[in-house]
Amino acid sequence: MESLIKTFHLDWRLFLAQVVNFAIVFGVLYWFAFKPLAKVMAERSGKIAKSLDDAKKVEEKLAETEKDYNRQMAEAKKQANLILEKAAREADSRKAGMVARAKEEIGQIINQEKEKMQAEKRETLKEIKKETAELVILTVEKILGEKVDAKKDKEMIKKIIR
Amino acid sequence: MIVNIEQDAEVLLTQTAIVTEHTLYAEQVYKIGGFPITNSLLNTWLAVLAVAVFGLYFRTKIKLIPRGVQNFLEAVVEALLDVFDSVTGSRAKTFKFFPFIFSFFVFILINNWLGLLPGIGSIGQVVAENGEKLFIPFFRGGTADLNTTFALAVIGVAASHIFGITAVGGWNYFNKFINLKVLFEMPKKIFKEPAVLIVNPIKFFVGLLEIISELAKIASLSFRLFGNIFAGEVLVAATAAILAYGLPIPFMFLEVMVGAIQALIFAMLILTYLTMMTAAEEH
Repeated sequence: MESLIKTFHLDWRLFLAQVVNFAIVFGVLYWFAFKPLAKVMAERSGKIAKSLDDAKKVEEKLAETEKDYNRQMAEAKKQANLILEKAAREADSRKAGMVARAKEEIGQIINQEKEKMQAEKRETLKEIKKETAELVILTVEKILGEKVDAKKDKEMIKKIIR
Repeated sequence: MIVNIEQDAEVLLTQTAIVTEHTLYAEQVYKIGGFPITNSLLNTWLAVLAVAVFGLYFRTKIKLIPRGVQNFLEAVVEALLDVFDSVTGSRAKTFKFFPFIFSFFVFILINNWLGLLPGIGSIGQVVAENGEKLFIPFFRGGTADLNTTFALAVIGVAASHIFGITAVGGWNYFNKFINLKVLFEMPKKIFKEPAVLIVNPIKFFVGLLEIISELAKIASLSFRLFGNIFAGEVLVAATAAILAYGLPIPFMFLEVMVGAIQALIFAMLILTYLTMMTAAEEH
């Protein structure tokens, strides 16, 4: 032991000095490098984990929204179809009604025209009869050459016409 | 016959050739009130200064978004954490020991590499001693002095014991070395398994051996580091003495590697001791 100390010049003062040196290095590294570094690294890991989590949440929300959207779209389509169907049905019934009314109106018009025509026919016939009677009277007068008295005349005419 | 030593020394300084010798010990450069300041101590102070300056600079540079030095250091720390995990077996334990072990690594690495710088070991003064002119360099690698490596080894092993006591408790710690537990359990078990009569005294003796092994730890740690670094410096100096131009370069590279490897080995061994001492009693 004695020779060891002598050979290597072991000195408790130097030993202590080196212990102090190491303590300083440890202190500096611990307080100025490791502690803040570990804090920052932990903080960063936490932030990354949080943002990853957030991203997952956003994705989930997006998927949910899309599902919601799809569901609403499907419903809207269904309703639109219903409305269309209803409109078509309504249009059909209205069309039928209009056709019926048109038919009715046409029928009425035709009837009116028919009546008118018959009335006109009657009138015409009446006029023809009148004119024919006058013509016959004239003709007979000419043939007879003279005028029969009115009373006779009328009787004659009536006979002839009938 | 009276010899004037002062005068003798003066004569020697002017006449004899200068002796450059690689001493096993760090030479004293200066003395302040009985406190010897050796060239190795000066070098260690340089290393401490470098670490302190870096620490103060780095402190202001730590940001959430890493840049430059922080990126590099974080990568180193992450890599070391993984290596340490393989020894401690758990990240929590690694985190507990990391600053301590990392300090060993940095302290030894910087001291090892600082000893390789040009000018260190080659700039010095000539002193007359014992009738010879001695060249004493101002600087010498900090870890090329047994005082340094011995101090480091003692700190490491002592820390492993302190951590051990806090981790497993005083009684368990005590029984690792003076195993009273196995002696006490002998009467209880003796009828069930008579083998304890042989096994437990052996266990007790193993505990006593542990005390010696703790001393051996200090010796092996300090001498390994000192030996490697001192030998490296001698090697580089020897090759430089043969041919100063070019020949030492491969050896310098070798020493750079040895410096890094020795720093890592020392740190890892301390970590192993810490892990072993804090582990619950093994069976």
